[in-house]
Amino acid sequence: MNVAAQSELPLARTRATQWAAPLAGACALLLLAATAEIVLDGAVGHSSLIPKSPEIAGWLSGIGERLGFRIFLIAVLAFSAGYAGLIAAARGISKRLALALVVALHAIVFVGPILLSTDVFSYIAYARMGVEHGLNPYTHGPIAISHDPVYHYVGPDWKKVATAYGPIYTLISYPFGLLGVNGAIWGMKLLAMLSSAVTLALTWRCARARAIDPVKALLLVGANPLYVIYALGGAHNDLLMMALMMAAVALTFARREGSAAATVVAGALVKATVAALLPFMVLARRSLAQVFGALGALALGAVVAYAVFGVDGVNIVAALNRDAAFVSTDSFPTEIAHLFGKPGVFPVDHDLLKAALVIVVLHLLWRTWRGYDWVAASGWALLAISVTSTWLLAWYILWPLPLAVIARDRRLLVATLAIQALFVFHQMTPLLAPVK
Amino acid sequence: MSTLDQRLQRLPPSLRPLEHERSGSGRLWRVETVVLLLVGLLLAIATVNDVVLGTHTNHRLVADLRTWRDYTGHDYKNVSTEQDIYHHTTTDVVCGNTVPGPPKERVQICLQMTGPVVHGHRAARGGWYLPANTEKNQRRYRYACFGTSKAQKACPQ
Repeated sequence: MNVAAQSELPLARTRATQWAAPLAGACALLLLAATAEIVLDGAVGHSSLIPKSPEIAGWLSGIGERLGFRIFLIAVLAFSAGYAGLIAAARGISKRLALALVVALHAIVFVGPILLSTDVFSYIAYARMGVEHGLNPYTHGPIAISHDPVYHYVGPDWKKVATAYGPIYTLISYPFGLLGVNGAIWGMKLLAMLSSAVTLALTWRCARARAIDPVKALLLVGANPLYVIYALGGAHNDLLMMALMMAAVALTFARREGSAAATVVAGALVKATVAALLPFMVLARRSLAQVFGALGALALGAVVAYAVFGVDGVNIVAALNRDAAFVSTDSFPTEIAHLFGKPGVFPVDHDLLKAALVIVVLHLLWRTWRGYDWVAASGWALLAISVTSTWLLAWYILWPLPLAVIARDRRLLVATLAIQALFVFHQMTPLLAPVK
Repeated sequence: MSTLDQRLQRLPPSLRPLEHERSGSGRLWRVETVVLLLVGLLLAIATVNDVVLGTHTNHRLVADLRTWRDYTGHDYKNVSTEQDIYHHTTTDVVCGNTVPGPPKERVQICLQMTGPVVHGHRAARGGWYLPANTEKNQRRYRYACFGTSKAQKACPQ
């Protein structure tokens, strides 16, 4: 490099820093405006994007207009564009501004209605089955409490389906069942928000431990459109699972191997997917404490689950096998089937997808054994699970995000964000060709 | 170093666990990156293809709704469309009330739409009626089939 070029470098950096702050500010405002638009319009109700729900955000309902697909999709696109700009300009954002933005996004979503999914009503129905009606949510679907006020809000596809969530989550949700439907919704919203706060705090901490810019890490997760609008907006229990996942990573970084492995098992007893971390963690650290921690937590969880729910509460594998057969229009296997002229995925495709997933996981395990970053390997495994799943929902492609942010392999972050971008693009059909 | 690690060091060098990746694993990294790019390309093409397919379907549904409104002379908003998801054909069924009232709470007329979209419309070659308060367009509820639907025995009688 010649002397002139060298002298231009600091100048270019200064210019980059100069535009970064105003760009970041504009992007932050765009994110806030898009979120407020969705929440205020959603509060009006009578929209196919807002599940039938008790009126919990009625005081906001006079401000917006009924949320239609067009406005929603434009808001999601605006949010996504703002997110991309925010990440590009992350260097110009102070810690205080980043925190303020993430807190504001959480607050806006918290006060609004449940967005886009009826799942939270299933959580509440399972809780009420246990504490109000003395029924086992692992053997009965919500239809068993069709006289309960929450039943009408459960999604039609899930009325006959017993819970697929882990026993720890079911036990955590039980107290909410005593609060009435409105109280339970607020409780679930609070749980989602606190779980998100823990996830973000631990992402920050893990990023610092790996000498990664914590502000950028915070924004990559906490200002992500799928994270804010879909996961937080729907008060999904994936946030609790992700909080436990990041707790396990933070504990491993702190060399508390036994506690870390036990935390992964606890996470898997909330939602089984997070168990994918355990083999990578064990292969990377090769500590007996991990094995004892995992087995101890598993034994304790199994005893508690058996004592409260009987053998059905322990047999999570059966529930997972049942759910693995579901097919959603947004899943990548369905899209590939359409590409090859098939109407959808068939049982043989499920087998092929499982085989592909096994090959990917075996490769990652071997790479981890030979020194590859176990955090990245875990993230790739979670990404592979969501991409090969025939039942793909927006919050599933969030699972690898906190790991991708702190992984040493930056390809994981690029791949995770690319998959999310494809998912968002796939939602755009009603915007391109509205049905009136 | 733990006892387990000491034992693992007895493995051949190519099988031993490592704390960090060896420098020189660039070739594997390149192969992985190429595979990832190919998978990404496949997913991107599949996604774009699906959006295009969805767009075509929506254009067809718009033509279906327009045809139903023109045939019946009712400019209702709450008209339901149903696609042939079982046989994956482009035959759609569009149902709506015969007289003003809440959706599906009046006698409904259903039209079977087939063929290509021509000037924003499709051909309605048959259909049937559904009694008031019928949620689902199931064969057992249908009556007074007409056109091709009558020949296809789409009604129970």
